[in-house]
Amino acid sequence: MTDHPSAAFYRVEGTLLARPTLAAAAYMAANAQGISKRIGRLSNVAAAAPFAFAGNLVTGSFGTRMLWAGLRGMSDDRVSVLAEEYYEEYVRDEVLDIGLELIRESRRRGQLVVLISDNIEPIIRPLADQLGADEVVCNHLEYKRGEATGRLADPVVGGGLAGQWANSFASERGLDLQNSCAYGAQASDGLLLSAIGQPCAVNPDRQLRRLATDHDWPILER
Amino acid sequence: MSTNYNAEENWVLDSFDGAHLVVTGVTGFLGKVWLAMLLHYAPGIRRVTCLVRDRKDESAQERVRNAAETSPAFRAAREALGHTLLRRYDERVRVLSADLAVPGCGLDEKTIEGLSQDADVVLHFAGLTDFEPDPNTAVATNILGTAHVADLTARLKVPRLVHVSTCFVAGEASGDVAEEITTGISPNGTKCDPAAEIEGLRNDLAKLETRSERVAAANTRALRLGWPNIYTLTKGLGEHLIELRDDVRAITVRPAIVECAREYPFPGWNEGLNTSGPLVYLFSTSFRHFPARSDHRFDVIPVDTVARSMMLVAAAALRDEADDVYQLGSSAINPLTFRRAIELTNLGVRRMHAKSGESWKERVMLKNMDVIPIGADEEPPFSVGHIRRTAQATRDLIRKVNLKRDLPPTLYDKIGDKLNAKLKSWSMSCRNADRKMGRVQDMLRLYRPFIHDHDYAFCADRIQGLSDKLGDTERELFAYDVDSLDWRHYWLKVQVPGLEKWCLPTLDGGEIPQDDALPPAATQGTQAHKQAADTAAAE
Repeated sequence: MTDHPSAAFYRVEGTLLARPTLAAAAYMAANAQGISKRIGRLSNVAAAAPFAFAGNLVTGSFGTRMLWAGLRGMSDDRVSVLAEEYYEEYVRDEVLDIGLELIRESRRRGQLVVLISDNIEPIIRPLADQLGADEVVCNHLEYKRGEATGRLADPVVGGGLAGQWANSFASERGLDLQNSCAYGAQASDGLLLSAIGQPCAVNPDRQLRRLATDHDWPILER
Repeated sequence: MSTNYNAEENWVLDSFDGAHLVVTGVTGFLGKVWLAMLLHYAPGIRRVTCLVRDRKDESAQERVRNAAETSPAFRAAREALGHTLLRRYDERVRVLSADLAVPGCGLDEKTIEGLSQDADVVLHFAGLTDFEPDPNTAVATNILGTAHVADLTARLKVPRLVHVSTCFVAGEASGDVAEEITTGISPNGTKCDPAAEIEGLRNDLAKLETRSERVAAANTRALRLGWPNIYTLTKGLGEHLIELRDDVRAITVRPAIVECAREYPFPGWNEGLNTSGPLVYLFSTSFRHFPARSDHRFDVIPVDTVARSMMLVAAAALRDEADDVYQLGSSAINPLTFRRAIELTNLGVRRMHAKSGESWKERVMLKNMDVIPIGADEEPPFSVGHIRRTAQATRDLIRKVNLKRDLPPTLYDKIGDKLNAKLKSWSMSCRNADRKMGRVQDMLRLYRPFIHDHDYAFCADRIQGLSDKLGDTERELFAYDVDSLDWRHYWLKVQVPGLEKWCLPTLDGGEIPQDDALPPAATQGTQAHKQAADTAAAE
């Protein structure tokens, strides 16, 4: 990978998209087959919401796992169609300007563009194609006989794991992490940012702002 | 007979070189796609004689020529070949006015003699595919028509007959369905003499005056033999009838449910109301419970896959290498369960409504309340039976209301007329709902054996065997490609949009749009075409 001596890691939620992953899970739940299933799945999302908002630093990957557990029994056909709908309605034209500018800058520098998201693959993959990303790290639903089991395939993408993953990814590709960039927006992205040589907080939440200030990381806001 | 071919680059097309085919049913959904494919890809064909019935307003010749000029079934051929298609048509296709229901197919002796000296194979596409037609018509078309075509075939020097039947002649036999005919044994194992059964059926029908009596009599006979309806009874007896003949080399092709084209002439092409059209239509009504067994297989096959297969079988027949029976289905190779078909239809209809103007009904009912599979005898709250009974009870209640009697005279004078008009309108709505649901019930009763009672896996090894032997070029054109069908893509991007465009409008009284004819220079008569071709050749 001599063409890409360094990479730019983007946490999708916050830096590229304003909507949290919770919104995607809620959309899928609200469009399940039949009213009773919708109510059940939405209740699950509601119960998972506090854990998801608390972030992975507090709850590990529990919040993310719980968020998607509500899709248990949903057909892969429905997941695929709803994901496509969600992408077309809430993702395709909603990419933040600041994110687009940063990706353009990464490309200009010749960096490998890597998207990291705790959303699921059928939503994030088209976004990656749209943005011309080189790599995508996101969550994958497990299926059995064409239906979601409600479990996420390991490794589940979360704040802490993203940092570990970035390290192993860099060593696999022979990337220079010191010259690589990382962009995050939430407290749970702290571990990712601290693992990369050139971290940057984009529209950070309160905790990440404090962390960025403490570590003297640049903060971009728009 | 077993298949044993070596891969040859032009195994199919070489077979058609110089051949003369006699074909019935080319104005049907499948027949048109097949004829377009033949003219498109097999320029070496010498003659295609089509036996077609005249219509009141259109001669047999006009019916087929008009189809070649404007039917979407010929769109790919027209776009690829332009006026060459019509020239090819004029040079090779001959349409004879015929009536398969009468002996000799309505042809004169001289014509039959001419065909017998020259034709190489007869392809019998024609058939009545309604599940519950007037039995007289079904017998005339599916049994007598087949017998008359077999008589015609018997006059050929090499009497080869490729007869298009249906996989569903399997009747009551669930499970794996082999590619075989056991003559004289009906689907439920009853020994029967096909000729005697046909004679008995005709005698029964001759005594009955009304259609409903004839339908009841034919259904009784069908059920006794293990065929679930008149369609499968007549197709089944037709198969037995030709199989028993010593003077005809019969090759039976049984497609499953023929649906929208996957690629040829273009994705989504369909015509008329096939099996899944009315079912998909139900998904866009208030109907929310579908009587089907979730794990049973729904054997759907795209029309172009069937047309490709017919090219393969016709080629095998011309080479005298064909097997006795070919089944064309997906259930044994790449099964689609009803659970998945219903889910995909829900998602397809959801998309259909998402792009249309959203009425309250579409927004709340159709987009948010998916159709779910239930047992045929279950009656959940919003089942067809419940809706009907509620509509009938409401109408009875409205009828009993006498506002003049029940309201104080002053109040009646004030609002009586308005209320009476309102009650009348509600009563009409209830009657309409009752009638509509009645039609749905009738339709589901006809479909029940195929969507609920039986789970078929139609073996399709033989056509797969033919396909496997194709060279690379012909594999592109004629391969039996059911194993590569991505059901999600097919259902959402091909089947539902295809039905929406080409079939569902006919349920509401609309017509299927035809293509524009080619520019005048390319659509003139035979002589002009020949002149144009000659000029082009000279240039």
